[in-house]
Amino acid sequence: MNGISNALNGLYDISGVEVGQHFYWQIAGFQVHAQVLITSWVVIAILLGSAVIAVRNPQTIPTAGQNFFEYVLEFIRDVSKTQIGEEYGPWVPFIGTMFLFIFVSNWSGALLPWKIIQLPHGELAAPTNDINTTVALALLTSVAYFYAGLSKKGLGYFSKYIQPTPILLPINILEDFTKPLSLSFRLFGNILADELVVVVLVSLVPLVVPIPVMFLGLFTSGIEALIFATLAAAYIGESMEGHH
Amino acid sequence: MKNVTDSFVSLGHWPSAGSFGVNTDILATNPINLSVVLGVLIFFGKGVLSDLLDNRKERILNTIRNSEELRGGAIERLEKARARLRKVEMEADQFRVNGYSEIEREKLNLINSTYKILEQLENYKNETIYFEQQRAINQVRQRVFQQALQGALGTLNSSLNNELHLRTISANIGLFGVMKEITD
Repeated sequence: MNGISNALNGLYDISGVEVGQHFYWQIAGFQVHAQVLITSWVVIAILLGSAVIAVRNPQTIPTAGQNFFEYVLEFIRDVSKTQIGEEYGPWVPFIGTMFLFIFVSNWSGALLPWKIIQLPHGELAAPTNDINTTVALALLTSVAYFYAGLSKKGLGYFSKYIQPTPILLPINILEDFTKPLSLSFRLFGNILADELVVVVLVSLVPLVVPIPVMFLGLFTSGIEALIFATLAAAYIGESMEGHH
Repeated sequence: MKNVTDSFVSLGHWPSAGSFGVNTDILATNPINLSVVLGVLIFFGKGVLSDLLDNRKERILNTIRNSEELRGGAIERLEKARARLRKVEMEADQFRVNGYSEIEREKLNLINSTYKILEQLENYKNETIYFEQQRAINQVRQRVFQQALQGALGTLNSSLNNELHLRTISANIGLFGVMKEITD
């Protein structure tokens, strides 16, 4: 038994890739993934802090930070308007939060040197590389588009299940399950996979080779954030439309 | 889940894990690559981003300047229109005032000229009457004269005969004799 554990020790010494081992906290009888919480808090702090700093003292001719945030806001508004249509106003904060949270968490996971901080178990990385995070975001989106449809059309919202023909009813019901499933897995898969590729490449050739893959990771994670936000807006728009 | 974790922990001690700390293994924590990536990102991203943001700022400035100019132009035109309005109003007032006095004057002029014409006509009438009167009187005088002369002529013709002529001559001779006596 001792020999095996020594060998295992040696093995663990060599391979520093700990996949699937998470850092757990016990909060009120639930086991939570602490590393995801910690990195989420950092992302939230970055977002809130930069927003608060940029919105201090607004001028008519914007300063650099204010200009940048206004540009981001215009971009998000444009996405919402394209997807949702005319009543896009109340949904801009939701879409904006989705987009900014996912974008900043993806890019923070790729750019910030998280591995310098060592945890007892597991490691710090982007909060969206945990399926729990992405499923939570996808379920929020589901709730959002249900709420949008119900608040606009009332119980007549359920008539969309038998548009255009009642034969498609099972497919429409299935769609309500596949939408959050696809959203969550798309994001989770992309982020975790890119992270794993970078880690493996670093453990193989630490110096120059991972760099193109890191750039690819930045690009795709940015696109993923945009896709998530656009799809969320599209689902909301789709459930609010067709009332003519 | 907790059982799995427990069994993992009991399998062996993890030498590099077990507590919070700082990982100083450069090859594992990847700072070189990260700094390269960050450097390239900032280098290119700064250019693109500042272009975008400058464009946006330019657009905002232009829009503001345009609207300020339009506003200034509109205010100018408003002022000009107001000034013109005031001028036209004053002129209209003046016209109104002048117009009334003009009307009064014209009225007076008309009245005066009509009065004068009436006077002239009156004069003509009077003169004509006078002349007619005079003519009538002259005619009557002429007639009377004529009548008197005719009467005298008739009387003369009726009473002129030789006897009268002899008496007249003898009277005249007697008169001449008396005059001659006086002058002697």
